[in-house]
Amino acid sequence: MSASGMLYGGDEIGALVFDPGHHSLRVGYAQEDTPKAEIPAIVGIAPNDTPKIEPETKEGNTITQSPWKYYIDTTYLHTPRPNMELHSYMKDGMIENWDFFEKVVDYSYEKIIQSASEYHPVLFSESPWNQRQKREKLTELMFEKYKVPAFYLVKNAALAAFANGRSTALVIDSGATHTTAVPVLDGYVISNAVVKSPLGGDYLILRSREMLEGLGIDLTPTALVSSKEILRDKEKPKYTKKNLSFLPTNSWMVYMVKKTVQDFQQSVLQVSESPYDERLAASVPTVNYEFPTGYHQDFGYERFKLAEGLFDHAMLGAGYIAATSAGMCDVDVRPALYSSVVLTGGNSLVQGFSERLGKDLSSRTPGSMRLKMIAANGTVERRFGAWVGGSILASIGTFQQMWISMQEYQESGKAQIDRKCP
Amino acid sequence: MADVRDIMELDQPVTPELTRESIIGSDKLKKRTFSTTKTQRRPEGMHREVFALLYSDTKDAPPLFPSDTRMRRPRKWEWMPFTNPARTDSAVFYHWRRPSDGPKEYPFAKFNKKIDIPTYTDAIYQQHLQTEGWTKEETDHLMDLARRFDLRFIIMADKYDTEKYNKRSIEDLKERYYKVSGILAKSSGERKVYHYDADHERRRKEQLKRLYDRTPEQIEEEQFLINELKKIEARKKERERKTQDLQKLISQADSQADHLRKADKKIPKKKLANPTRPSRVDTSHILQAVETAGIKFPDYKNSGVSLRSQRMKLPANVGQKKSKGIEQLLQEMEMELNPIPTEEVCQHFNELRSDMVLHMELKAALTSCEFELQSLRHQYEALSPGKTLTIPPQLLSSTTENDGMKLSGNPEIIDVVGSPGTPSGAGT
Ligand SMILES: Nc1ncnc2c1ncn2[C@@H]1O[C@H](COP(=O)(O)OP(=O)(O)OP(=O)(O)O)[C@@H](O)[C@H]1O
Ligand SMILES: [Mg+2]
Repeated sequence: MSASGMLYGGDEIGALVFDPGHHSLRVGYAQEDTPKAEIPAIVGIAPNDTPKIEPETKEGNTITQSPWKYYIDTTYLHTPRPNMELHSYMKDGMIENWDFFEKVVDYSYEKIIQSASEYHPVLFSESPWNQRQKREKLTELMFEKYKVPAFYLVKNAALAAFANGRSTALVIDSGATHTTAVPVLDGYVISNAVVKSPLGGDYLILRSREMLEGLGIDLTPTALVSSKEILRDKEKPKYTKKNLSFLPTNSWMVYMVKKTVQDFQQSVLQVSESPYDERLAASVPTVNYEFPTGYHQDFGYERFKLAEGLFDHAMLGAGYIAATSAGMCDVDVRPALYSSVVLTGGNSLVQGFSERLGKDLSSRTPGSMRLKMIAANGTVERRFGAWVGGSILASIGTFQQMWISMQEYQESGKAQIDRKCP
Repeated sequence: MADVRDIMELDQPVTPELTRESIIGSDKLKKRTFSTTKTQRRPEGMHREVFALLYSDTKDAPPLFPSDTRMRRPRKWEWMPFTNPARTDSAVFYHWRRPSDGPKEYPFAKFNKKIDIPTYTDAIYQQHLQTEGWTKEETDHLMDLARRFDLRFIIMADKYDTEKYNKRSIEDLKERYYKVSGILAKSSGERKVYHYDADHERRRKEQLKRLYDRTPEQIEEEQFLINELKKIEARKKERERKTQDLQKLISQADSQADHLRKADKKIPKKKLANPTRPSRVDTSHILQAVETAGIKFPDYKNSGVSLRSQRMKLPANVGQKKSKGIEQLLQEMEMELNPIPTEEVCQHFNELRSDMVLHMELKAALTSCEFELQSLRHQYEALSPGKTLTIPPQLLSSTTENDGMKLSGNPEIIDVVGSPGTPSGAGT
C-alpha cells in the first residue's frame, strides 16, 4: 500500500469485472477506465463437420469442442458461414443459456484477460431482478469451473450510480432490450420500487427496420456486399453481392440486418425536445445516410418520429417510469432520488435523449423538489456505466472485506450469495 | 549538463555546468550568455504567439539544481499476499506493496465499522419481549436485517421476507425494533431509552406525501393565493404608514398651535389672511423634510437606572448641523447649554430643543417653497411675455408679519404656505 493509495482509498488486487447485458458482455480489469473488451452477447454455433478448415482455428479464436464449433466476438460473428446459427444467451436481463455463456467466459479468459482465472477475484454485475437460483448458479460456475479466488455480485444500477459518484441515486438505465428506473439508497437497490419498460435500443431498431422496409430500402449488410457504386440521392443501388457457395442462415441474416439498422439508428435518430410535432420536425435539418448497398437519402421528420417511441407511451416512457419508481419509494428518500437522477446505458446516447428525459421528468417532479440529472458526457462512460462502477468498487480498499472467498464458498456453499451480496 | 540541446546536438551553450552562482550569482555571467544569442526576426505572416513559442526563448538554462536523488535506486514494489482483519475468514488476496514497508495490518481494516444491535436469549425474549402480533422468529428476522443493513430501515423493509411474514411498513419495523432495543437497554440498566412514536411518523409522512402529491394546478393556485396575500399585506402596511404620517403631522401641528396660542396671550396676533392656495404643487419633498420634524428623545422610563442628565443628551441621529443650530439659538436666547437637569428643566429643555429643530426644518422648507415660487414666477413670465405675476405679499416671508416667534433678529414664518399637509393649519 502506497501513501497515495491510502489517500484515495484504492487498493488494486487484480480483480476482474464482468458486466453482462443483452447487447454485449463487458470484460476487463478493475481499476482501469474502460473494459478490455465488449463482446456481443451472441454466440455463433455451427456443426463441426465443416469440410473446409477455417483459418481462424489456427489462430485459436474459436473454441473447438465437437460436435459443435462456437463463434464468438464481432469479427467471427460478422463473417457468413454455412449453417452458423446465432443465439443470445440472455433473457429478461438475466443469463439464460449457461452453455453459451460459459463459452463466452472461456473466450474472455483466453483471449481478453489472457491469464488464469484462479488468480483473479471476479466481480459480476447483474440486473436488479436477477433470480436467486441464477445467482447461485453463477456463483457455483465461477468457483467450481473457473476456481476464482473470490467472487462478488452487485446490481448494475448500483454500480452505475457509483460510476457517477453517487451511492444514492435514481438510476435510469436504457439498454438494448429495456429501460429501467432503479432507486439506489446507500448502494442498496430498493428492489420493490424498480420499474421496467421494454423500450430500448432494440425497439428503436425494430421500428426503424419497419420504416426502412416500408420505404423499400435494401438492407443487405456490408458483409454480403463486395462492391458498390457511387450514386445520386435516392438512386437505385448498384452493387454486387459476395459470391457465397451457401445460403447464410436466417438467424445470421436477422442479426446482420439488425446491425445495419443499428448503425442507421445511431447516426440518424434524434429525440425531439418536446413531444413530437410534425410541423416542428419538418423544419429541422435532414441527415443523409448511406446504406451498405450504396443507396443514400435524406431523412428528416422520420428521425424524430422513430425516436419518439421511447417517450410517447403513457406508461412506458422513460420519464414516466422514473417518476413512478420514485413515487414507490418512502417519501423521506424521494428528494434525494430526484436530486441525483443518473442516466446510463447505451441507448441513452440517442441524440436528445437526456434533454427530453430531463424535461419530461421535471414536469413530473413535485414542485418542492429539486431535480438534478447526472449523465456522464463521454460515450464510453455512459455505455459502460455499470462496468466502470464495478471497476471502481473492486479496487477500493474497504471493499476487499466483502468478497466471498473460495474458503467461504467451500465452507458454506453457493446459498450464501443471498446474504453476502444482497 | 544533460540538456535538450545536447540531445539534439545543437551548439554547446556558453553557460558552463549549472551551479548556484550561475543562477543566483553575478550578472556578468548572464550578460555574456545573452549577448551571444542572435535575435531572430519574425517571418512575415507568422502569428506573434506562434513565433513567441519558437524564438522568445532567451536560451535561459532550465531552472534545475543538481540534486543527489538522481542516483538513488527506486524502492521495489512487489505483488504480495495479504490478509484482511476486517474479514471473518483468513482469505489471502494479493496487492502491490513495498516490501520495505514491512508487514502491517491491512490499512483499510480500521474502516470496518459495525453498529451494535442488541441481542437477547430465548429466556429474555419469553420474559420481556413478547408482544401481540410478533413472533420470536419474525423478531429475529428483523434484528438480523437490522444487523445486516446497519439499521437502514428503508432497505430492511425492502428486503423483508414477505414469503414467510406479512408485509410490514417501515414504521412498523422501526416501532418494533426500538421497542425491543428499549426494553433490552432498560433491563441492562441504561437510563436513556429512545422512544419511537410510530403514529407521529405516519402522520408526518402522510403530510409529506400530500405535499409532494399536489398537482401543478394546486401548486399554482397556492402560489397565486400566497401572492395575493402578500399584496394585501403590502397594501395594509402602506395604508398604516400613511395614517401614521398623517397622525404625526397632526400632532406636530397641534403642538405648534399650542405654542402660538401661548404666544397669542402676550401679543395679540394679527390674523393671517388666508390666501387661496394653489392646490397642485408638488410638496412631497417638503413633506419629506418635515417628516423628521423635531427630536425624538429616547424613552428612558423602561431602561433601568440612569442619570437624568442622560435624558438631555441629544440622540445620535441629530446631525451636527442641527446641534450647531440649537447651540446658536440657545446662545441667542442667552440660555445655558447644559442646564441643571431637574425633572421639569429636562422636559422643557428637551421640548424647546425639539421645537428648535422643527423650526429649523420648517424654515428650510419655507426657503425651498419660496425658491419654487420664484422659479414658477420666472417660468410664468417667460412663457407669457409682458405679463407679470404678482405674488400676494402674504406669501412672501419678508413681508409676512409674524412676531409670534421672534427667535432671531429676522422675522420668521412658521406657516408653510401651500402645503396642505404641513402645519399650516396653525394659524387658521
Ligand atoms: N451512440 C449511440 N447512439 C445511440 N444508441 C446507442 C449508441 N451506442 C449504443 N447504443 C445502443 O445502446 C444499446 C446497448 O446499450 P447497453 O450496452 O447499455 O445495453 P446492454 O446493457 O447490453 O443491454 P440490456 O441493458 O438490455 O441488457 C444498443 O441498442 C445500441 O444500439
Ligand atoms: Mg444494461
